Amino acid sequence: MSAISIRDVTKVYEGGVQALRGVSLECAAGQVSALVGRSGCGKTTLLNLCGAMDFPTTGEVRVAGQVTSKLDDAGLTHLRRTKIGFVFQFFQLLPSLTALENVELPLLLSGAKNSEAIALERLHWVGLDDKARSLPYQLSGGQMQRAAIARALVHDPAVLIADEPTGNLDNASGDIILKLIRRAADELGAAVLIATHSAEAAAIADVRVRMGDGRIEGIEC
Amino acid sequence: MLKLFRQLILRPLRRDLTRTVLTLLSIALGVAVVIAIELSGDAATGSFESSLTTLVGKVDYEITANGGVDETYIARLAALPVNARFSPVIEEPVVIIGQGSTTLYGIDLIAATTFPSRDREGADLETSAAVSSDLAARLHLHQGDPIELQGRDQTLHFTIRTIAANQNTEWVGVDIASAQRLLNMYGKLDRIEVFVSPGENAERIIKATIPATWDVQTPGARSEENSRMLRAFRWNLRILGYISLLVGAFLIYNTIAVSVVRRRTEIGILRAIGTSSRGVLLVFLGEAAMLGVIGSALGIVLGRLLAAALLGMISDTVNALFTTSTPGPIALSTASIVAALLAGTAVAFFSALIPAREAARVAPAEAMRRSIVEHETRLHIRRDLVIAACAAVIAAILCQFGPIDGRPVLGYAATLFAVAATAMLAPAFVTGLIFLLRGTLKRIAGAAGLIAGRSLVASLARTSIVVTALATAISMMISVGVMVGSFRETVQVWLDNQLRADIFVRAQGPATAGIYPPIAAPVPEIARQIPGVAEVDTLRAFEFRYEGTRATFAAGNVDIVRRRRFLRFLSGTFPGPDSAMVTEPFADKHRLHVGDVLRIPLGNRTAALKVAGIYYDYSSDRGTVLVDRSTLLNYLPDQPITNIAIYIQPGADATKIRRDLETRLRDFPLMIAPNEVLRRAAVEVFDRTFAVTYALEAVAIVVAMLGAANSLLALVLDRRREIGLIRYLGAATGQVRRMILMEAGLLGLLAGSLGLALGMALSAVLIYVVNKQSFGWTIQFHPPVLLLAGALLLVWAVTVLAGVYPTRFAAKLQPIEVIHEE
Repeated sequence: MSAISIRDVTKVYEGGVQALRGVSLECAAGQVSALVGRSGCGKTTLLNLCGAMDFPTTGEVRVAGQVTSKLDDAGLTHLRRTKIGFVFQFFQLLPSLTALENVELPLLLSGAKNSEAIALERLHWVGLDDKARSLPYQLSGGQMQRAAIARALVHDPAVLIADEPTGNLDNASGDIILKLIRRAADELGAAVLIATHSAEAAAIADVRVRMGDGRIEGIEC
Repeated sequence: MLKLFRQLILRPLRRDLTRTVLTLLSIALGVAVVIAIELSGDAATGSFESSLTTLVGKVDYEITANGGVDETYIARLAALPVNARFSPVIEEPVVIIGQGSTTLYGIDLIAATTFPSRDREGADLETSAAVSSDLAARLHLHQGDPIELQGRDQTLHFTIRTIAANQNTEWVGVDIASAQRLLNMYGKLDRIEVFVSPGENAERIIKATIPATWDVQTPGARSEENSRMLRAFRWNLRILGYISLLVGAFLIYNTIAVSVVRRRTEIGILRAIGTSSRGVLLVFLGEAAMLGVIGSALGIVLGRLLAAALLGMISDTVNALFTTSTPGPIALSTASIVAALLAGTAVAFFSALIPAREAARVAPAEAMRRSIVEHETRLHIRRDLVIAACAAVIAAILCQFGPIDGRPVLGYAATLFAVAATAMLAPAFVTGLIFLLRGTLKRIAGAAGLIAGRSLVASLARTSIVVTALATAISMMISVGVMVGSFRETVQVWLDNQLRADIFVRAQGPATAGIYPPIAAPVPEIARQIPGVAEVDTLRAFEFRYEGTRATFAAGNVDIVRRRRFLRFLSGTFPGPDSAMVTEPFADKHRLHVGDVLRIPLGNRTAALKVAGIYYDYSSDRGTVLVDRSTLLNYLPDQPITNIAIYIQPGADATKIRRDLETRLRDFPLMIAPNEVLRRAAVEVFDRTFAVTYALEAVAIVVAMLGAANSLLALVLDRRREIGLIRYLGAATGQVRRMILMEAGLLGLLAGSLGLALGMALSAVLIYVVNKQSFGWTIQFHPPVLLLAGALLLVWAVTVLAGVYPTRFAAKLQPIEVIHEE
């Protein structure tokens, strides 16, 4: 079974804007899939549906075996806590928490034991253990994004979703981030779905999905 | 500019309607309290003009003497070569049979301008009476109705000939001779009123005719004296009102600061496309001014309503503690409306100045980042601590100085410096306490506890302001609570020592300051004859003037006082012949020490009385001079008794003795009260006195709570993206609610702790400086611990409740709405 399964999904926003038109896609565990296309082609909308942040107008989105539109609030919360990790373009770290506390947060929310130790281990995995006590404003862009990846992976999710993860970074930092994303698929077995404009990001992907005007125009492996 | 104002200010205010309403209410309540205190204070102190004006005409002078005026001087004055009329006046309490007591005026009815001319000529003057319209309305009296009046030891019948319209007080007027007969005041008057023809200067010749110990003053002087007596009381109330406004000012600062932070992106964009910094400044000041005007207007309406509620409480206090006064109507003049609008708007305007200047000062790029103020607040913690220490030291120094013009001005200034010290201490306190609690918060509440604490510190400037505002309101509650609690305990102990007799007797009449209706002469001896009575102590008290202020002169049996009561002396001891003991407030007001000589006009002579002792007394802040009865009789013979204290033999049946007393004295208009009843009544008067204080405290707390709710809502609105992210990362709605409520609880804990410390400091200022300098009393420090703990807990609980509405908002946030915002 695919970690992410999208079947004939459309998404129409209020005002009649059709962001997705009959999209179908499967993402397997351990596989990196890159969504490429111009701004406004529907990449972010598709990511939001896969991240259980939004729901299709028609069609079905299944994440880790669960149809997202059939889940209630508690079900969605559980899904996000256990199966999904999301990496944002603008990092989205909580500015008042240290790097370690940001990474630890999903575990604290789910009531996991030894949350601090697990978070420290994940920070080590992304090479940021020396910055554990730093606040976000004390980190560079690349360091912040590494901390965000650590947070997204701290609960060993089945699915990792990344929206333009290198969009705000220089080339060197971007490379480090892409390597980590690749490792997430290879070492942790996560199904990774990235939305990107970057050729380098597309280059690490196993599958490149070309999107245009809310449709999938082509898939390259 | 107007378009900018509409887009940047009006639209967001409409969008955040709840916060806008909360801000307006905060301003309105602060202004309402200040207005209500002024209006009700003016009305409660009412008119000190004589109610006789409509009956006898406008008085030019009043001739008075301590202990009463000798009637024979009327004839001497009437013979003077001046165009003036001299009218005798008696003003005493009297009992209307079956209806209770009222004020009796005895006047020359022949000269009374509004009295029916038939009665002025006819023989019915002896039995004619006038009543005020208020009294007539209450007792359903009409012209021609009979009315029975009971004086000291007889009852006389009168017929109502006139009802004096447009009176705001209750009284009965009879002819002077009838009044003297009724009250057994033959040859005596309370004063002589003088009516002088226009252009006539009679004061010098009058003064040359009467004894040097008598006073000639204009009626306005008495009003002025009364106003001075009430000044300290009114100022203390005003300060309580200003504290509510100060709490409101903190919260307006916070509101505008939040406005600036939330619109920093728009400000940045506007500045980037060419809006001047002056334009940005004016826009935010305009917001503050608009909120100030609307809030003040609302406050005026609320204030008028609150004034009506406060009037009764303040009036009770004025009458019980200071002087007789009849409340006048509450008059909301154009001047007071304009003053209130200006004050409220000015407070809003100046409170907004700092955040508005911050908005105007930042460069476009910086406006896109998080507020500079938050960063600077963290940066300047050490500097602010030093300023806090300096302010605290200044406050302590100011407390060492005495009153200015009888007012504890420097004491009030000390309280302001103490509040300023708290405001500067707040950032360090917030940071420090959250740091200390960080492990505990995470351990007991997980993510909610961790984020709640960190969020408050992250918004340090705003958190500090809210904490300071709440702490100020809480400190007011604590300090007044401690002061009143200490005062109550001090008074209770004093009552235990002072009220040692078993039964107390006084004449029927209002229990107001300065009024001592005389008791009929046979009463003490009748009491002594009752089996079981061990001793009867009698007292003659009357109001007198000393160095321009009014006080009580009392003469009793010093030997009985020495044996039976436990007076506590500040210094000295009981007086002997030609000496006196004075109360602490009297000594304080007139800067007296043991050994000083008091020169008090009594009758036609001046008594030189050495101060033998100064003792603690809490019956009135007017002050009392107490001598042995024999000393008074040297100067004023034939003095009636005004108070009786009866001591019964050990083991005797007190209830039986009291019933016996009531039976034997039933023909006299007396009030007979056992010790416990009088003690309870004294405490009730005390509690009623401070009812208005409690009411004002409650308003300050409400203002602070509104501000807390407003600020919590602002914190939530400002962190929509963060809350959406936390929801996305796996927070259930219950966890988000818990997080917000924890923030509210932490705010309450921070404010409560700081407020408690500030409150204890302010209570010391209130007890040892403000109260001492205002009224002259020494109060022992007795904080009502349980009551304060309960009040603090309640305030904390209400602060947590203030977080409920923001939690509903936060819990509804969907990640998709906010996460991708930048």
